[in-house]
Amino acid sequence: MERRIVGIVSGKGGVGKTSLTASLASLAKKDSNTQVIVMDCDVDAPNLAIILPPQDKLNIKKEDTYATRKADFIEDQCINCIKCINEHFCEFNALRWDSQNSIPIIDFLKCEGCGACRVLCPEHAFKINTVKSGEIISYTTKMGFPLIYGKTQLGSTTSGKLVSDVKEYLNNSNEINDSNLILIDGPPGIGCPVIATVSNLDYVIAITEPTPSGLHDLIRVLEVVQHFGIPFGLIINKSDLKSPFQKEFKKFIKATGYKKLGNIPFDLSIPKAMSFAAPVVDFAPDSKASLSIQKIYENLKLILWNDFS
Amino acid sequence: MNHRKPRIICITGGKGGTGKTLCAVNLAVMFKNEGNKVLLIDGDVENPNTYLLLNGKLENKKEVPFFKPKIVEDKCSKCGLCSQNCLSNALLHVKDAFPIPILTLCSGCQLCYKICPENAIEADSKIMGWIYSTNVNGLSLLLGELKPSEARSAAIVEALLENLEEIIENNYKEFDIIILDTAPGAHCDVELLIAEADIVIPITEPTKFGKLDLIRIMDLIKLLGKESRVIVNRSSLLGFREQFIKELERENIKILGDIPLDSDIVESYCQGIPIMENNSNFNREGAGYIAFTKIYDNLKKWLKIIGS
Repeated sequence: MERRIVGIVSGKGGVGKTSLTASLASLAKKDSNTQVIVMDCDVDAPNLAIILPPQDKLNIKKEDTYATRKADFIEDQCINCIKCINEHFCEFNALRWDSQNSIPIIDFLKCEGCGACRVLCPEHAFKINTVKSGEIISYTTKMGFPLIYGKTQLGSTTSGKLVSDVKEYLNNSNEINDSNLILIDGPPGIGCPVIATVSNLDYVIAITEPTPSGLHDLIRVLEVVQHFGIPFGLIINKSDLKSPFQKEFKKFIKATGYKKLGNIPFDLSIPKAMSFAAPVVDFAPDSKASLSIQKIYENLKLILWNDFS
Repeated sequence: MNHRKPRIICITGGKGGTGKTLCAVNLAVMFKNEGNKVLLIDGDVENPNTYLLLNGKLENKKEVPFFKPKIVEDKCSKCGLCSQNCLSNALLHVKDAFPIPILTLCSGCQLCYKICPENAIEADSKIMGWIYSTNVNGLSLLLGELKPSEARSAAIVEALLENLEEIIENNYKEFDIIILDTAPGAHCDVELLIAEADIVIPITEPTKFGKLDLIRIMDLIKLLGKESRVIVNRSSLLGFREQFIKELERENIKILGDIPLDSDIVESYCQGIPIMENNSNFNREGAGYIAFTKIYDNLKKWLKIIGS
């Protein structure tokens, strides 16, 4: 079977992306037709590794990434002309004037490392350094398939670039050639890291819950997915949630004509499985939630390898 | 209240879906109920949801423009200086051709516009998103929204912060309390808001994910030198409450309070009526109502300790 790269997104956080990814990965591992690689691109809060721990703790590969650039001030070169402030070198307001010492101060958080100050300062009193933006971690999980994930360096500001680096790491790995299914756990939101996650995917799974915020954020993330022209299917988690919003929610989803991959009913086996750090399909294989996820997995396979060809 | 500068409280959490917006909205409502002038700023610009929980309308829409280089071909000498200096690689230059802007990569630094020796680059703009300001039941709301398929969410947060700065410099008497609601994660949008706050309240849940992401956001809060106290949401989930709170205390994490699972909260969330709103019909003996009341009391005590 041809290789398919599938991303799981939601817009809203906490609606079940990671739990679903872990369960789908476990089902794919047991399926003799699929060779799966799992990735966690929620680089701000990578949690998949908790459910998919390594086979051998001594065999974890770690690689630092240096995707972030930051400006640095060279005091010896500065002639205190204050041009950098007066002529507004920095569009990100990362330069402030320290009037006591008559020098500029760089706000590390706000600095985007664009290099404008370095180029514009007539005395060459700024330079640009690359700093650690995070790390890429990879190992073989207890279940036997590879897991690759990124983790941002706090305060480094470039989550989107790290996501691209994680995907690049996969492309350069040896394992990719033997695999035919890549599952990517995506970040919440619709911004830079989400765009980096969904670009070049074959298929997107969008998971949500029947609440106003769940729907609102789903619509926003699907706008991004549709912008890139990537086919997608919907999963409604906690689908039987007792809520006054259910009716409106169902009506809206029906009206959109979005393709549905399935529903997952509210089921305490899911949080229970999480507390034991196991995919629910392994922890409670006969639970309502597990049965529905198995059905979703079968639907997904049909779409990925029948409908596409 | 007297007219000192408003207190700025930042609600954040690391993990998504732990109840940040729920807490931000209800804390804002409780301060308002007691006669405070409250401004709620929704800084989760990728997914701003405060107005849904308040059943408010988005009004006074203002565009947030973002720099876009425009090449004036009549003036351009095809020297390539702009492209050589663009660290984002957002200007593609092939020898003897005009440079081509690649807008998705552009950071908006305007360096190309500033250094072009022929003045052949104009500062054009595109819409990155919008800012709305509105008033819902006596609560002022300022909300930022990133345009879907655009990437520079921080530009919208910066625009919100410019508004905030304006208020603090010129109109600080207008508000007693300012509450900031952040995005999930620990990226620059979140950092920028935490950096503005007097105190930070991370919201978590008693799961392994909740704890891991909480510890990450606590590290960021420490890095920014802020004081914080945590709210544990859904604390009654599977009977993990005592153990989880003990685990947090072992990590020297201070706790402001906890909110058990409560059907009134789910219903209020879906109806867009905050459970703590004065005229709401929710049970005042309910577990959620009591929990928020306790958290509010603890928060007021905490603010007193900090002083002005």
